[in-house]
Amino acid sequence: MNVVEYNNLIDKLSLQVKSFQEGFSLLSNAATLKELGTDFCRILQGNFFIRDVNIFFKKNATHEWECIIVHNEKCMEYLPYLKATHEAHIEYFNDTEFCVTATLPLTDGAMWGLVIGNKIDKSEITEIDKITLQMFLQLLDNAYQSFINQKKEKQLIFSLNHRVVQLNSLIDTGIEISKLHKTSSLLELSLERAAALTNASRGVLRIIADDGIATEIGFPGNSDILHVLSSEQRIDTGVEFKHVKYLYSLSEKESRNGIIDFDQTDEILLQAFARQVLAALENEHLHTEAIDKERMHQEIEMAATIQRKIIPQQLPQIEDYDLAGINIPSLEIGGDYYDVTKLKDGRYLLIIADVAGKGVASGLLVNTLNASLNAYVENDFQLTEVAERLNKIIFNASTPEKYITGFIALLEPESGIIEYLNAGHNPIFYADNGKLVKLDKGGLAFGMLDFSFPYESTRIQLKPGEKILFYTDGITEAMNHDDEEYTDQRLEYFFLSENSVSAETFIENLLADIKAHTKNTPQSDDITALYLSRNK
Amino acid sequence: MSSEFTLESEIKNNCVVIITTGYINNVGGQKIVDEFYKHHSNGINNVILNLAKSNVVNSIGISFLIEIIEKLNNTNGTLIFTNLDPSIEKTFTIMGLFQFAKKADTPDEAVKLF
Repeated sequence: MNVVEYNNLIDKLSLQVKSFQEGFSLLSNAATLKELGTDFCRILQGNFFIRDVNIFFKKNATHEWECIIVHNEKCMEYLPYLKATHEAHIEYFNDTEFCVTATLPLTDGAMWGLVIGNKIDKSEITEIDKITLQMFLQLLDNAYQSFINQKKEKQLIFSLNHRVVQLNSLIDTGIEISKLHKTSSLLELSLERAAALTNASRGVLRIIADDGIATEIGFPGNSDILHVLSSEQRIDTGVEFKHVKYLYSLSEKESRNGIIDFDQTDEILLQAFARQVLAALENEHLHTEAIDKERMHQEIEMAATIQRKIIPQQLPQIEDYDLAGINIPSLEIGGDYYDVTKLKDGRYLLIIADVAGKGVASGLLVNTLNASLNAYVENDFQLTEVAERLNKIIFNASTPEKYITGFIALLEPESGIIEYLNAGHNPIFYADNGKLVKLDKGGLAFGMLDFSFPYESTRIQLKPGEKILFYTDGITEAMNHDDEEYTDQRLEYFFLSENSVSAETFIENLLADIKAHTKNTPQSDDITALYLSRNK
Repeated sequence: MSSEFTLESEIKNNCVVIITTGYINNVGGQKIVDEFYKHHSNGINNVILNLAKSNVVNSIGISFLIEIIEKLNNTNGTLIFTNLDPSIEKTFTIMGLFQFAKKADTPDEAVKLF
C-alpha cells in the first residue's frame, strides 16, 4: 500500500468513524422497533451505496420473521439463510440481486435478520466492507440494547408513577368515601377505583343481607355480573358489617398484550379498598349512634329540667317552725321527690316519695304522683282516700316492677298536730321528747297492688323543740369503698344527737356526715331529706 | 358508575375533538388511538380529548394516551385534555402526562391554546 492509498484508507476510516457516531446517535433516538430498523436501513444504504436493504425481526427463535423494511419481495427467498444462532452470522453470495444475509442475535433472545442487495455501482463487497458491516451490526446491537434499556426505563417510570397513583387514589378514596352519606355511592366509588387501579376489565360488588337478599353493583355500568363471577382470571375479597356481606370480585386484568393474571399487589389493593368501605360503614354507623345518643341525652336533659322544677326551689316559711330539704339525684332524672304545700285551710301538706328505680320512667311516675296529689288536695279530702286514689293512679300508670313508696303528712301549725300516712316508705324519724319514734303506719307502697287497699292514717303532736326527719333509703344505704352502708343506726344517732341547730344547718351537717362515710365513692342512689322542727 | 366505552369525534378549526364516554381501559384506549390515527393520517396534528363523560381510567388506558402524546410530539402536534374529573386530572399529573400534553376546562378554551 502506497502513501496515497494509505491516506485514502485513513480518510475513509475517519469518515466511517464519524458515520458510526452519527449512526449511533440516530439509532439511540428511535422510539419504536420499526423506527430503529428503518434508521439502520438508511445507514447501510448510505454507507454501502445499496438500495435493497431488507430488515427482519423476530422476538425469539420460535417466532416467525417479522418484516420491518422490505424493498424487494425476492429477499423472502433468502430467509432460510437467516440462521437462529447464538452469534452473529453473515453469509456472502455472488448473486444478481443479493450479496449478503446476516443474522444478529440479541441479549433478550430476539434477533435481527438482514438480506442486503448488491451495490448500486455493481462493485463487489470488499474486505473493508465486510469489516465495516460487522461494525455496523455491532452498532445495531448496541442501539437495540439502548432501545431496550430506554423502554425498560420508561416502563419503570410508568410503573413507579402508577404505584404513586395507586397509593394516592387509595388515600383519596378513603377520604372521599368517608364524606359520602349515601352508602350506595361509596360502594360504587370503591368498586370503580379498585377496578381501575388493578387494571381489571370488570368488577362486581354483591351485598348479601342476613335474609339472603342480594344487591349487585357492576362496573362498568352494564357489566355482565355472571361473566365476572365465572371468569377464571378473577380476584375476590369481602368484608362483613352488621350481618351484611360485601363481596368484591374483579375480573380480567388488562395489559397491552391481552389479559394477564392479577398479582399479589392487586389482591392487597382490593382488600384495602374493601377495608376502607368497612371503616366508612362503621364510622357512619357510629356517627348515627352518636347523633341518636346526643338526641336522647338532650331529651333526658329536658326531662331532668322538668323534674327539677317539681322539687321545690324554696320551701314555705311556717311560723314557729323551721323547715329545710334536699334532693341530690344520682342520675340525671331521679326517682325521689319531696314537696311542702300550704293548703287553703291553713294546713301544710308534706310529702316525701321514692320510685322504685331511677331514670326517665321513674321521673314520669314522680310527675304523675305530683300532679295527682296536687289535684286531690285542692278541696276537702281524707288522707286515706287520697292514698287509695294515688295507689290506683300509679298502678295504672306504671309497669308491674314500678311502684312508689311515700310518706304524706298534714301539719296543723298552731297545734302541731300531724296526721301522717306511710305508704311502704322507710320509717320516718320523730323525736318525741328526746326519744326516737319511727312513723311507719299507713299501708303498702302506691302502685304495688291493684285493689282498694285500706290505708290508715295516724296522728301525732309535734311539740316545741321536737323534730321530724323525712328521708329516703338513698341516705341509709349510701355506700363507701368497702360496700358498707351508712345504716339506719348511724342516721338515728345523727338525728338524735344533732340538736339546737337550724333546719338548714341540720341538712348541711347530714350531707357532710354522709360524705364522711362515702368519701369519694360515686353516689349510687338519690339522696333526699326533709327536716321539720318546731321552735315554739 | 361508568358505562361501557363509546366515543364520537368532530373536526373543529383543523383539530379533532374526541369525546369519550365510559371507562378508558384497554378497549377504550385502543378506540381512542384508532380514532386518533384515522385523523392524524389525514394531516390533523392537533387533538382535543374531551373526557367529560369518562371519570375512570386505568393505566392501560393511560399508556394509549401516552402513545398519542409521543406520536404528536414527533410531528410537532399537540394533545389537550378537557373537562377533566379532578381524580383523573390528579392521576395524569402524577403520571407526568402534562409535561407533554396540555389541559383546558372546555374544548372551546382548548382551541385557543393551539
